[in-house]
Amino acid sequence: MTDDLMVALARAAGLDKALEKFPADVRAAYEQARRTAGAVAAPDNPTAEPWPPMQAGPNL
Amino acid sequence: MTDPHWLSITEIGAAYAAKKLSPVELTTHLLARIERLQPKLHAFITIDAEGAMAAARTAEAELAAGRTRGKLHGVPVGLKDIIDVAGLRTTAHSRVLIDNVATSDAVVTAKLRGAGAIILGKLATHEFAIGGPSHDLPWPAARNPWNPDHHPGGSSSGSGAGLAGGLFPMALGSDTGGSVRNPASACGIVGLKPTYGLVSRCGVFPLSFTLDHVGPMTRTVADNALLLDTIAGHDPADPGSAATGTRAFGRELGLGVAGLRIGFVRHFHERDMPAHPEVTAALEHTARVLEATGALVETTTLPDLNEFSAVNRVILTAEAWAIHATWLREQPENYGQLARQRLLPGAFIPAGDYVNAQRRRLTMIAQVNEALRKYDVLMCASSMDPASNIHDEPETSRTYPRQARTPFNVTGHPALAMCAGFSSGGLPLSVQFVGRFFDDARVLRVAEALERGTEWHKRRAPVG
Repeated sequence: MTDDLMVALARAAGLDKALEKFPADVRAAYEQARRTAGAVAAPDNPTAEPWPPMQAGPNL
Repeated sequence: MTDPHWLSITEIGAAYAAKKLSPVELTTHLLARIERLQPKLHAFITIDAEGAMAAARTAEAELAAGRTRGKLHGVPVGLKDIIDVAGLRTTAHSRVLIDNVATSDAVVTAKLRGAGAIILGKLATHEFAIGGPSHDLPWPAARNPWNPDHHPGGSSSGSGAGLAGGLFPMALGSDTGGSVRNPASACGIVGLKPTYGLVSRCGVFPLSFTLDHVGPMTRTVADNALLLDTIAGHDPADPGSAATGTRAFGRELGLGVAGLRIGFVRHFHERDMPAHPEVTAALEHTARVLEATGALVETTTLPDLNEFSAVNRVILTAEAWAIHATWLREQPENYGQLARQRLLPGAFIPAGDYVNAQRRRLTMIAQVNEALRKYDVLMCASSMDPASNIHDEPETSRTYPRQARTPFNVTGHPALAMCAGFSSGGLPLSVQFVGRFFDDARVLRVAEALERGTEWHKRRAPVG
């Protein structure tokens, strides 16, 4: 299941060539991303703003 | 006179003024040294001897005519090979850009030219500033002049190696997760990641828009301030450029640390990521030196180092993926394995994780600001270990990520790494100082006080 998911996500990201030529590297990247996923907790306040904020104005 | 290749920027200017040395003589000397040591140190990707000598002749003529451009006039410099120099390749140490010739100067390059600096060439880097010491790239990895079997840190590896090896007196690097401060730590030189936005990123190949900084690298703190003076400044073409007129970054040099409050973030290297005992000893020695010269050093706390690292990792990999996605899809074979493995994770990171990292970053900025309301400067570890043997892949993989630099890419505060001693194996150990936004001058002041209180910066790598 995990392999199927990894392959599906890689193909969805357009990584067919990398999957074919460097499957071990794609797997390593997938596993690194899985370890990273959820490493940063969502804030308790769902309305918390990210940084930097959107801006408007003549200098943009 | 000191050997020309070990002269500082200030000493070069004095030698030129006293007519004991000329730009052509110095450049000729350095190019010969570079040619001799390149097979050992691999610091360069492109050596522009012709361009450098032409610039040296111009500088010499201008100085002889009394038309001085400032402190960097006639001073040679190396640029990390992600920084554009018109007419030279910007390869990012990668097959992907092996034939890429820059058509215009990066903003920092143009500023150096305007100041009369002499561009020697383009320096080795980790592939696209992320890969790591790699052996499957078109050019070899740079080596550490203190022991060429060891890595010189990175990703600004050639910059660090060249400075410690006496190939040039100043260099530019970039710093996204520590890449100016890592080679500064490994090579025993001075590397500053300035406040975010102080130095333009235009013409510098990006790794992460949120985290990228261009920074000065030198052998002394005073030189670092001089180089920062030249490259800093608002650039309206850089969306992240700070609208600040801050200048004269050396204005506090010589004032010492008497009366300054320094917050020592011990938990980074004692609890969060336990350091090599010799690193810990060097950090404690640094604290004692600063206390002996009048600083008040107290333990303080910030968020856990591993949480900072996670935020940095999510933001960096997501943004780097966006930059490299097309190439990774079309030509993954033109990347080295390390860069490929480090750039691909971004394809799998959920968008919500990226937003949460940017949310957490805001609170982390506030927490570091809060600490800097109580302290003039923070002090902490840079690298947790001395540089490993470049051929020992398991040890390099284990130690390379062990560092406390990424917090200040996340927050954007100015952070400087410098030598704090030497290991029993003769490799540099390091310390890091962090300041308030746009208070880079205060960080340099504390660094210079340490430099004067120790003899580390006077040691020379036994590279020949």
